[in-house]
Amino acid sequence: MSGGDRLSAHRFTPAYALASAVVLLAAGIAVSAYQDRLFRAQQVSEVTVQGQILASSVTAALVFGDAKAVQEHVSALKINPEIEAAGVYDGTTLVASFARGGKQPLPRSLTDRSTLVMSGRTEIVVPVMQGATRLGTVCIRAIDTPLAHRLTRHLAIMLLAIMAALLVAFMGTTQRTLRAVNRETELRALALAETNQLLQNEMEERSKAEDALRQSQKMEAVGQLSGGLAHDFNNLLAIIDGNLHLLRQTGADDQPAMQSYLDAAGEAVDRAGSVVRRLLAFSRRQPLSPRRVDINQLITDMKDLFLHSAGERVRIEWNLNATWTTHCDLNQLENVILNLAINARDAMPEGGTIAIETNDVTLNDRTRGGDVAPGDYVEIRVRDSGTGMTEEVRKRAIDPFFTTKPQGRGTGLGLSMAFSFIRQSNGYLNIETAPGQGTTIVILLPRHLGSELRGIA
Amino acid sequence: MGRLFRPVTFALLLVALPAYAGDRSLEYAVKAAFLYKFASFVDWPPGSFETESSPFVLCVVGADPFGGRIRSAANGQTVGSHPIILRQLAKEEPRSNCHAMFVSGSDGKSASEALNSVRGTPTLTVTDSALGPTAGIIHFVIADDRVTFDIDNAAAARNHLVISSKLLALARRVNTARPAAVP
Repeated sequence: MSGGDRLSAHRFTPAYALASAVVLLAAGIAVSAYQDRLFRAQQVSEVTVQGQILASSVTAALVFGDAKAVQEHVSALKINPEIEAAGVYDGTTLVASFARGGKQPLPRSLTDRSTLVMSGRTEIVVPVMQGATRLGTVCIRAIDTPLAHRLTRHLAIMLLAIMAALLVAFMGTTQRTLRAVNRETELRALALAETNQLLQNEMEERSKAEDALRQSQKMEAVGQLSGGLAHDFNNLLAIIDGNLHLLRQTGADDQPAMQSYLDAAGEAVDRAGSVVRRLLAFSRRQPLSPRRVDINQLITDMKDLFLHSAGERVRIEWNLNATWTTHCDLNQLENVILNLAINARDAMPEGGTIAIETNDVTLNDRTRGGDVAPGDYVEIRVRDSGTGMTEEVRKRAIDPFFTTKPQGRGTGLGLSMAFSFIRQSNGYLNIETAPGQGTTIVILLPRHLGSELRGIA
Repeated sequence: MGRLFRPVTFALLLVALPAYAGDRSLEYAVKAAFLYKFASFVDWPPGSFETESSPFVLCVVGADPFGGRIRSAANGQTVGSHPIILRQLAKEEPRSNCHAMFVSGSDGKSASEALNSVRGTPTLTVTDSALGPTAGIIHFVIADDRVTFDIDNAAAARNHLVISSKLLALARRVNTARPAAVP
């Protein structure tokens, strides 16, 4: 059943039931009225016949003026309960009559025929004839059956009609109830569907959570692996560095060639050290030395570095609005921001704009998104006008060793390390991007309210 | 009605006004009126009247106790379509063709003779108990100070007359038994 059908059926069925009941009742009343009329007509005809018989019987008595005989004839009609009053007129004078107890007697004189025919009564007037001579008149008034009696006579039909009407009404009501039940069932089905949807959403979230867990386990494994490797590697680098120092002290760098070899080796050791530090930072084994940081100051101090890194084709906009401070490892944060700037530059090979922005943000339950805890944060936004990322790339962007840069240009550790560090500092890192729309990296670091001395001037 | 009100009612049927009794002139005025009215409730056998408009002959045999009241009562009256003719007879005459005959006969013998003379002919005989005990088919009597009558239906049958049950119903007494042999 469609919604419209249901609606219209719901609206009209009780009306139909009511109409049917009314029609049935009306039909019952009509049939009863018809039967009543029929009965009255029959009554009239019966009484007329009796009047004719009486008229014929009293002829001789009237002729011979035998009032007693006339009275006997008239009184004989008492036996018929249908007759309320009867009388015989000799000419216009009442000679014999009877009327049942309490009933109006017939008029003593028949001066006006119309006085005999009263409304609501069945009265018949039959002439008493002898041959062509009219001797007198017979009047009979049939009993006026009380309405209650007449109704009793039609009780069966009325009862049937009423029962039918009740049945129809009952059916209407039942149908209505049924509809209400159906509607309720439907509502329940809807609620069930909703619950099902919720369940499905939960399952999806759970699946996401499982994915996240797997991801974090993966990161953990990679972190442990790389952390272990980095430590060992760091020790080896220390040995190499130490030996290089010993070589210099032994004067092995007197020869210019030797000097350049040693320098190259030293540089490689430094770079290796840098990689090792990154690895350690990623694996969170790097000991952090958090302190109070004024982000604006930090970024201002890095301006030259940014300009050098960005190159000539990239313009940098500054919007440093933050007034709050945060609490984290200064050097690591510096590294992170520089990394983000370099990524931004690399996303714009044809040049463009990098916008670096800081803000104070307060997140409550309504404004916070995803898994971010409500509270006060210092926000750092690094936006580029570059190529942007597909959703696929965005999802993997913080995976360690994932990179879109050509072989040898990136380690795939930049964003991963940044993410790692920010989480370690109780902050959040989010990527807002779409292909062709540029990319914005949003970092939220908790506001610091402590009174620790500023780490940098 | 008919089955409720049997014509063989032996109850007294009384004529309307008690004042009639005791006053002989009134009494005979009533009887005179009755005399021609009886004819309306009696059927004569076919052939009793030559035509539809043949007169109905009402005879008074013997002394006329009515003193002209019959004439005035019957004047202009008809029995069915037959005009009434009144005929005064000193005594019964054969072939007088009376349809109805009031027999006064101051002595019973002449009355009986008159009745016997029309026995078996379609003649309605009427007698008066005040004038003697000899009874014809209809016999006027006074009962309870009212003029009423007895009917000898057997005698009527002998005379081939059929008396209406309506009239029988009004009679004080109706004799339906076969009469004993009339002397």
